[in-house]
Amino acid sequence: MTLTVKPKTWPGAIREVTLGAGSRQGLTIGGGKGLPLHTFEAAFPRRPLLALEITDVDPPRWVDTVRAPWDGALGRPDVAAKRAVEEYGADVVMLHLVGTHPDRGDRSPAEAVEATRQVLDAVGVPLIVKGPGGGSRQNDVLVRVAEECRGEGLVLHSAAQEDYKSLAAVTVAYGHVLVAESPIDLNIAKQLNILLSDANVDMDRVLIDPMTGGLGYGLEYSYSVMQRIRLAALGGDRMLNAPVICLVGEEAWKAKEVKVDGTPAAVWGDRARRGVQWEIATALPLLEAGADLLVLRHPEALAEVRRVVDGWFVAGS
Amino acid sequence: MSKIIAAAAIRGAHACMDRAERMLADAVGRLGRDAQVGFEGTAYALPTILALTGRRVERLRDLEDAVAEAHGWIPSVPTDSTWLPYLGGTLDAGAATLVAHETVESLKPLGGIPLVSGFWLGPTPDSILREQGIKLVDGRMPGFAACVGALPDDETAEQIARDLQERNILVFMGSHTNGDTMAAQLNRRGVQMNWETFLVPYGPDTSSLVHAIGFACRAAMTFGGLKPGGLKEARDILLYNKRRVFAFALALGEVDDEKYATAAGAINFGFPVIADTDIPQILPSGICTYEHVVSNVPHKSMAARAVEVRGVKIRTVDIPIPVRHGPAFEGERVRKEDLAIEFGGKYTRAFEYLTSRPMDRIEDGLIRVVGPEIADAPEGGRLPLAIFIEVAGRKMQSEFESILERHVHSFLSEPMGVMHLGQRDSVWLRISRKARDAGFRISHLGTVLVHKLKNDFPAIVDKVQVTLFTDAADVDALYPTATAAYAYRDERMGALTDEAVDTFYSCALCQSYAPNHICIITPERLGLCGAYNWLDGKAAFEMNPHGGNQPVRKGEVVDPVLGQWKGVNDFVSTASNGAFERFSAYSMITDPMTSCGCFECIACVLPGTSGIMIVDREYPGQTPVGMTFSSLAELTGGGQQTPGFIGMGTLYVLSRQFLSGDGGLARLVWTTTKVKERLGDKLRARCSEIGHPDLYEKIADETVCTDLEPLIEHLAAVEHPALGLGEMI
Repeated sequence: MTLTVKPKTWPGAIREVTLGAGSRQGLTIGGGKGLPLHTFEAAFPRRPLLALEITDVDPPRWVDTVRAPWDGALGRPDVAAKRAVEEYGADVVMLHLVGTHPDRGDRSPAEAVEATRQVLDAVGVPLIVKGPGGGSRQNDVLVRVAEECRGEGLVLHSAAQEDYKSLAAVTVAYGHVLVAESPIDLNIAKQLNILLSDANVDMDRVLIDPMTGGLGYGLEYSYSVMQRIRLAALGGDRMLNAPVICLVGEEAWKAKEVKVDGTPAAVWGDRARRGVQWEIATALPLLEAGADLLVLRHPEALAEVRRVVDGWFVAGS
Repeated sequence: MSKIIAAAAIRGAHACMDRAERMLADAVGRLGRDAQVGFEGTAYALPTILALTGRRVERLRDLEDAVAEAHGWIPSVPTDSTWLPYLGGTLDAGAATLVAHETVESLKPLGGIPLVSGFWLGPTPDSILREQGIKLVDGRMPGFAACVGALPDDETAEQIARDLQERNILVFMGSHTNGDTMAAQLNRRGVQMNWETFLVPYGPDTSSLVHAIGFACRAAMTFGGLKPGGLKEARDILLYNKRRVFAFALALGEVDDEKYATAAGAINFGFPVIADTDIPQILPSGICTYEHVVSNVPHKSMAARAVEVRGVKIRTVDIPIPVRHGPAFEGERVRKEDLAIEFGGKYTRAFEYLTSRPMDRIEDGLIRVVGPEIADAPEGGRLPLAIFIEVAGRKMQSEFESILERHVHSFLSEPMGVMHLGQRDSVWLRISRKARDAGFRISHLGTVLVHKLKNDFPAIVDKVQVTLFTDAADVDALYPTATAAYAYRDERMGALTDEAVDTFYSCALCQSYAPNHICIITPERLGLCGAYNWLDGKAAFEMNPHGGNQPVRKGEVVDPVLGQWKGVNDFVSTASNGAFERFSAYSMITDPMTSCGCFECIACVLPGTSGIMIVDREYPGQTPVGMTFSSLAELTGGGQQTPGFIGMGTLYVLSRQFLSGDGGLARLVWTTTKVKERLGDKLRARCSEIGHPDLYEKIADETVCTDLEPLIEHLAAVEHPALGLGEMI
């Protein structure tokens, strides 16, 4: 008996968004025309990209097991960026400006610009720049970075419903890409994109961050809202068909399970290995739900996810 | 548009254009057509001309072309016998005036007249635009004021400047009145003027005001990504300014033809004019969001009036009260031992009453305590209290009064050391000694209300004033008005029927976890969560037009008994992503509405009884259908259409349309004591209305039985009316 697959065609498709411009080698994500990984019935011109996260200062909250591969590079964004791209094979680098947070270094916007420049000088891949988290400080920092690094097609992370206007304005003015972040909520994701588009942001320069829950910490919520976003997008909703970015590393390495030693954790096996596995196990379902850009922390997790992705997307398909 | 204004503006445009052309001819004669012209520090050439014509002027020949084009926009001055509309012509003349102004300004340096001299700053370079313009666009700076001319005296000039600064509004100054300028007036008062103080003097001539327009144009081109080009592009730039750059002009002193012409230019951008003299007003909205020209405004209220006319929304970050506040303190109790003063409860009369007023009847931010303040009362003492809140807003509707009033509870619970319970005339309010010792006074209740109402409801509330009466005579005097309002609102809510409106509201707030679920909220069927009624949906849409509550036009009636309308069905089909084609508002059998999972209650058919049962979320036990609430929830939730099962708000039981397509309230055979108690007398009244005054007693609850067999026996014994209605399925 043969199985006949009746391909499902959709009226909508995911937008293509190009990350990086100017001195960057641009990379494009999105473009999928069917449900994630349904390669048997729809075209997926771009495979998901994998980014590694680096920081402007030594990140005090990173656990030892994820610090290890970055030994000697933590707090040295140029060294870390080079290592991420040249040794670990990241497609994209995310510079997380942790040090600009008022409680974690309180570094000035000028210092943030300096760190960004170092990374831009060190590597030629597209760069995601993540601020210290919502609020006026984030705007001060990212607005300056956007202005000083105009034309580089940076991915600015992130605009939120309550506070999107400043980043929308600099995205438009200086030719960047903007991440629209919503708290695992379809309506807010859509509403924010409508607001951004009202503020004249080209929807071809927007990514959705539906907010990631790590494995055991709400992953299934992220999964389900991403499914929902993807169904709406394929159904033709032009305010939800932006590619999706997920910050995997940050969430996975927050889990208690990657941090604890001894009993009862002893039976969970080697802690270093466990952390990497936790990150992989968070990443894969998100790819299955349609993530177009994953940001990871551990190079071994990246290598494994890369192996799986390569297997899913046979070269050229 | 006022013909006087139109004629003056067109005359002024001709005059400005003549001067520009003369200066241009002179410059060309001296320097030749290839001479360069432009402002320093900008990549936008002459920005206003660039925005309006798409021409990038770099040399005098380019300027000649731009001026020639703009000259063609000016109509002839309307004659005494012309009564036809001249709005379009006047606006065009205004636009041409701006081109003429920018021409004049750009030619000044070529003729040896510097744009920067003394305190005059001249045109703004791009570097400042990038830093300051973004604040206009992202809302950190609520808007800018272009001050035209001078005030009668230096002191008033400073007062106006301070009033604007206080509101974080950027102040541009230009032009003159009777030889004096506002900038010179401020200078004489020793006021610092620069980009740090937000006081920016452009120049002494009326033409210098074009730098404010150039600033706005560049903000739109930079942060709005708008590319200049032809007419369409110019229109987009104008609209962007109307929607995002909250600017206005203050016309100070006598308004001559040139100033009228310049104002007509500004109106193209949606920037209205507020004048201190008695010029003709242009009140209807159209090009501007609200009024175009408002005149005779006293200097004292000029800033406030301008903010109101332009629709500038100013948010306060910190509420100026001496204690901490926030949702964290909401549940806090003030115990008797800690009490400084209390109002209401069972001791004194205390009520809160919010009403709406016309815009001009309210002094925004006015807070009065009429009667004793906290210091006048004995320790732990009691006073009567009337919290009288008057609000005004462009989009305020009297229907929203009750919604705003309902928030008084959470607002007044937020300051640390203040306890607020109840609503309407059942208020109980306590202030702790600690709060009092920190400086909290009765008037601060007003401070909280003014700020919270404006911050949380910016779309509908523009102005708030609060009066706190603490004298028994005053409280008693206002009381009948308040109770009449409560009664009127209840009556209105009662009279609000599905028939009486043409629009329902959707609620998609739960789609994140119930993807295909959509709520349709009608006046007679509130949301199944019990938290949203039709009015809430209406207000939510008004406040947030892109949000989860959208208007749904009923359209033509498909089935009046089931409660189906074409517009609703079309909406449901789209909003449920094609999963459902029809919803009945009044039936749980035929095309019932779906449920997300947030229902207050579940109603389900009880086979063998000809009736239905209703179980509430908090009831943990067994029900006659053989399932607990949680098993029923599995069947009902998740956005499925399951005939015989619906989620519902408790109050739906009292609606005249309660399952009216299936037989209505007479079908209700079993519910929980909690539901019965909550609905109480109102349910009794509904039973009487449908002709079964003893139905309330016949409805069984868990104290009668929790199994089907005994329930059937009970129904037969009490002769429940459902038995006569026949099986539902």
